[in-house]
Amino acid sequence: MILIGENLNVMHKEISQAIKEHDPEPIRKLVVRQTQNGMEYLDLNVGPLTKKPVETMEWIVETVQEFTDLPLCLDTTNPVAMEAGLKICKKKALLNSASGTKESREKMLPLAPKCSAGVVLSVINDAGLPSDADERAASILESLEFTNEIGVPNEDIWIDPVLLPIGVDQRQVSAYLEFIQMIPDLAPGAKSVCGLSNLSYGAPKELKGLLNRTFLVMIGRYGQTSAIVSAFDGELISIKKGEMPEIVNLIYRAMNENDIDLSSLSRKEVEYVKTTQVLMGKSLYSHSWLEV
Amino acid sequence: MKYEAPLEHYTANIREAVVGQGEKAIRIGGENTFPFHFFEGSLPDPPGLALEVLDIEPENWVQTLLDPFQEVVSEPVKWAKRCVDVFGAEILCLRLLSTDPMGKDASAKQAAVIAKKVADAIDVPLIVWGTGVEEKDSQVLTEVAQVCSGKNLLLGPALKGNYEEIAKAAMEHGHAIVAQASMDVNLTKELNIALCKFFPPEKIVLDTTSSALGYGLEYTFSIIENIKQIGLIHRDNMMQMPILADFGGECWRTKEAKESKEQGILWEAITGITFLLAGANLLILRHPDTLKLIKEMISEKQ
Amino acid sequence: MALKGAEIIKRLPKTNCKECGCATCFAFAMKLATGGAKLEDCPYLAPEVKAELEAAMAPPIKLVTIGVGENALVIGEEEVMFRHEKTFFHEPGIAILISDTANETDIEKKIKAIQELHFERIGKALKINLLALSFESGDKGKFETLVKKAYQATDFALILICNNMDILFSAATLCADRKPLVYPITKENITLAIPKLKELRTPAGVKGESIEEIVSLASQLKEAGLEEIVLDPGSKNVRDGIRDQTLIRRAALKKGFRPLGYPTITFPCFMYQDKFTEALAASVFITKYAGIVVISQEDKHFLFPLLVQRFNIYSDPRRPMVVEEKIYEINEPNEYSPILISTNYALDFFIVSGAIEEANIPAYLCIKDTGGIGVMAAWTSGKFNGEAIADFLKKYGIEKKVKHRKLIIPGVAKKLKDELEEELPDWEIIFGPVEGSDIPKFLSEERNKYYKSG
Repeated sequence: MILIGENLNVMHKEISQAIKEHDPEPIRKLVVRQTQNGMEYLDLNVGPLTKKPVETMEWIVETVQEFTDLPLCLDTTNPVAMEAGLKICKKKALLNSASGTKESREKMLPLAPKCSAGVVLSVINDAGLPSDADERAASILESLEFTNEIGVPNEDIWIDPVLLPIGVDQRQVSAYLEFIQMIPDLAPGAKSVCGLSNLSYGAPKELKGLLNRTFLVMIGRYGQTSAIVSAFDGELISIKKGEMPEIVNLIYRAMNENDIDLSSLSRKEVEYVKTTQVLMGKSLYSHSWLEV
Repeated sequence: MKYEAPLEHYTANIREAVVGQGEKAIRIGGENTFPFHFFEGSLPDPPGLALEVLDIEPENWVQTLLDPFQEVVSEPVKWAKRCVDVFGAEILCLRLLSTDPMGKDASAKQAAVIAKKVADAIDVPLIVWGTGVEEKDSQVLTEVAQVCSGKNLLLGPALKGNYEEIAKAAMEHGHAIVAQASMDVNLTKELNIALCKFFPPEKIVLDTTSSALGYGLEYTFSIIENIKQIGLIHRDNMMQMPILADFGGECWRTKEAKESKEQGILWEAITGITFLLAGANLLILRHPDTLKLIKEMISEKQ
Repeated sequence: MALKGAEIIKRLPKTNCKECGCATCFAFAMKLATGGAKLEDCPYLAPEVKAELEAAMAPPIKLVTIGVGENALVIGEEEVMFRHEKTFFHEPGIAILISDTANETDIEKKIKAIQELHFERIGKALKINLLALSFESGDKGKFETLVKKAYQATDFALILICNNMDILFSAATLCADRKPLVYPITKENITLAIPKLKELRTPAGVKGESIEEIVSLASQLKEAGLEEIVLDPGSKNVRDGIRDQTLIRRAALKKGFRPLGYPTITFPCFMYQDKFTEALAASVFITKYAGIVVISQEDKHFLFPLLVQRFNIYSDPRRPMVVEEKIYEINEPNEYSPILISTNYALDFFIVSGAIEEANIPAYLCIKDTGGIGVMAAWTSGKFNGEAIADFLKKYGIEKKVKHRKLIIPGVAKKLKDELEEELPDWEIIFGPVEGSDIPKFLSEERNKYYKSG
C-alpha cells in the first residue's frame, strides 16, 4: 500500500501563514518529517487559491521540491493553479482530484494527459455522491470510459470511492468496503486511493488513530493500493512496515468471524476487534463503541 | 403462484416506559413490531397523546390556538385542568418557558413551585420540559425532581451537557427522563450508552427533536423510522427505548398553520400521524382538536 | 433494478471478451444493473439465459402511466420499504372525486375550482394529478356528460369509477386517448372486462375483498397481456389499509412476488365522511406506499398540507433540499435594516428565516446558491468564501438597498470574516450567532445600531 502524506494542509495556520509570507521554514520541517517517516508521495492541500493561483502554487511546489525527492500529489479545486503546479513537478505527479462532473471533465480532468500526470478520479458526478456500491460502480464506469478516451490508461487512474466519516454516515463506509472489492473487475489495472482521515472526522480525538489504522488494514486486504494518511501516526507506519503482523491477522479474523472470544485477548487486541466489527457495520456506530 | 402473507416477526422489543402513578399512569412502548402492524406482532400500549401547557402566557399564538384555552392561558393550573377535564388529555406536558435565560429567567425554585402546583392539581401523568438551555435546565429539572419527588414525572430534555445531573436527580426521586440528541442516530446511541452506565434504561424516552410539516418533517420521520428499525431488527439494545415527538409548538409557529383553523389543525395532525407511522410512542401536541382527531384514528377497531 | 450487478455476473460468460464495449463481464453486469447497457449487447448469451435475466431484471413493481403528456401520472418502480434505505421514487397521485349525481352547473364549478388551485413550495409547483369520476347516478347519460366535461375542460389524468362494464368502457372510449384508469375490475366482471381492455389498452384498477383476490385478478390480466395494472385490496379503514399496503409492497419487493408487483390505489373518500378524518387518512396512505390517493374535497386548506406532506416524504434523502438564490425581504425591511447571509440549504434557510420572522424584525436575508451544502462545506469548496460572496452581493445589488454597510455572517464561519474584510473594505463584517435560536435576541440588539443618531 502506497502511503501519501497529508500533513501539508492550508487549514493549519502555520502553513497558510508560511504560504502568505513565502516563508519556507515551516514547509521544510513538515516535508522532511513526512519523508523521513516513510511517505511515498506528499499531498499538497492548498485550498482554492483564489488569489494569485499561479504564483502561489509555483512557490509551494518549488519550495517543497527543494526539500524532498518524493513525487507530489497536488490537491486543489482550482484548475489554473493545478496546471501551474503539475507543469513544474520534477517527478510524475498526481492530480488530486477530478470527478465525473461536467465541470471537472471540462476543466480539471484534461490536465492529467496534458501534464502527463496520474489522476485521482472520484466517484462523484453531477448527481452528487453515489449512495451505495452499485451506484459508485455505475459512476466510475462512465468516468473511466471518458478518461481512457482522452488518453489516460487505467494504470494512471487512482480511483477514489470517497470515504465519509463513520459518525456521519455509517452505511457509506459499508458501501466503500463493498465497492473497493469490485475495482479489479470494473477497472483492471487501475489504482485506488482515499483520504483515510475522513473516516474518523468527528470521532473522539484519542480514538481517531485506532479507526484509521483498522480501516487501512481492512481496505488493504480488499486490494486498496494507496491511501492519504497522517505521516505522524507511528503505529500506522509500523503496521505498513509489517511490524505488527498479529494485529493485522487479528483484524482479518474479525472480518471473517462473528464470534471472537474477547476474554482471551489483551485490551489493545479487544479494541482492534471491536473497531473492525463496527467498521464492518455489524453494529450501529457511536463514539463509545469500545465500551459496549 | 400462491400468495403467502409475508409476515415478519422480530425477536427484539422496545422497552415499556411508565410515566405517572397509580391507575392513570401511562405506559408507552413495549412493542415488538412496527407501528400499527397488529397483523404480525404485539403493540400493547397505544401511543400517548400529551397536551401542552405553558407556565407563562403565550405570545403570538394564533386565535385558533387560543380559542380552546381563552381565559386560562395565564394560569397554568387552570389550563392544565381544562386539558384534562374538558379535553380528555391522558397526559400533559408542562413547558417551563419562564425559566428561559433570554426571557423571564425565572429561578429553578420558582419554576418548581409551578410544576408542583400543576402536578398536584391533576391526576394524570405529567411531562415537565425545560428550555433546552443546558445549564439552566440542569438546575430547574433537578429542583423539579426534588420538589415533585415520587410522582414519576417525565423530565426533559436531558442533553449531552447536562444528562448526569438530571438523570441522578431523576433516579433519586423516582422519575423518568427524556434523552435528547438532535437528528443523529449515532449521537442518540452515544447518549444512551452514557446514561445506561448508571440509569435504568426502561426509564428513558428518546427525543430526536422534531421538525414540522414543510420544515423538515421528513428528516424527523426517517430518523425515527431508522431508530425503530435499529432497535427491532438489528436488536441494538441501546436503541430500544420508546420515542417521543415534541412538535406542537413547531407546527403552530409556522405561517401555514396560521392561515386558517382547518389548515392549522391539519398541519399539526398530519405532522403527528406521520411521526406515529414512523414509530413515535408519545406525541406532544397543542390543539385539543388535533388530539381528538388523532386519537379517533388510532383507536379504530377492525 | 431488481437484480444487483453481483447477481447478474453469475449468468454471464465471464470471458471478458470486450465485445459489449466493457472491459470485463463484471463491468457489463454493473451497467446492466443500473440500466446503462442492454442484454442484447452481449452476443454470447443463450436465449434461455437472456429470457431469465430479462424477467429477473424487470423492476419488482411495474411502472404504470395514467394519462398522457405533461399531466401524465407515472407511478411504480419503487425499490425500498423505508425511504432512508434509498428514496421513494414516484410521488403518489392525488385524485379529487367528482360524482355524476351533482348537477351540471355544480360539476362545472367544481372542475373550475380544481383547475384554479395552485400550490407551490420552495419554488416547486405541487399538483393535483387526477380527477376521479364516479358513476353513482344510475344514469349512463349523466356519467358520460361528466366524463366529457372533465375530458374537454381539463388536461388532468382521469379515473373512471363504474361498476357496470358496458357503461365504464363506453365512457372510457370517450376519453381513450387520455389513457384513463378504469376501475373496478373485480372477480365478478373480469371476464367481461378483459376483451374490452385488450381493445382499449388503457390502465386497469383491480379491486378485491382481500389480497388473495387481487392476486388472482392481476394474474389473469397479465396472462391476457395486460400489464398496466393498479391494485385495490379493498381495505375498509386506515388500520387495514396499513396492513394491506405493507404486505403488498413487501411481497413485491422482498419476495419478488410478481402478481402483486403493481402500484396501489386507495380511497380515503369512501372510507370516511368527516373531512378532517379523510384528510388524515389520506396522509397515512401517502406515507404508507399508496400509488394513488382519492379524496373528496377541493378545499385548499385541506389539500395544501397533504401536498406538502407528499412533497416531504417523497423528497430524496440523499439530495439536500435547496431554496432559490435571492435576497429575501423579511418583515418589510428598509434601508436601515440588517443584512444576513447564508447558504441555500433548505433546512438552514428555514431556521434562519423562521427566526427572523419570529423576531418580527425587518431584515434582508441573502441566500447564495451553494448546491444545497451548508456553510462550512461550502466555504471549503470555494462556494461560500469571501470572493464568492462578494460577487454574489454585487450581482444582486444589495448596496443599493441599504444606507449602512454592515453584513452579518454565520457565526461558524471563522475564516470568512477576514476574507470578506479584504473583498469588501467598505463593509463591517459581523459574526452572527452560531445557533439559529439565538438570532431573534441577536437581531434585536443589532438593529439598534443601524439607525443614525439624530
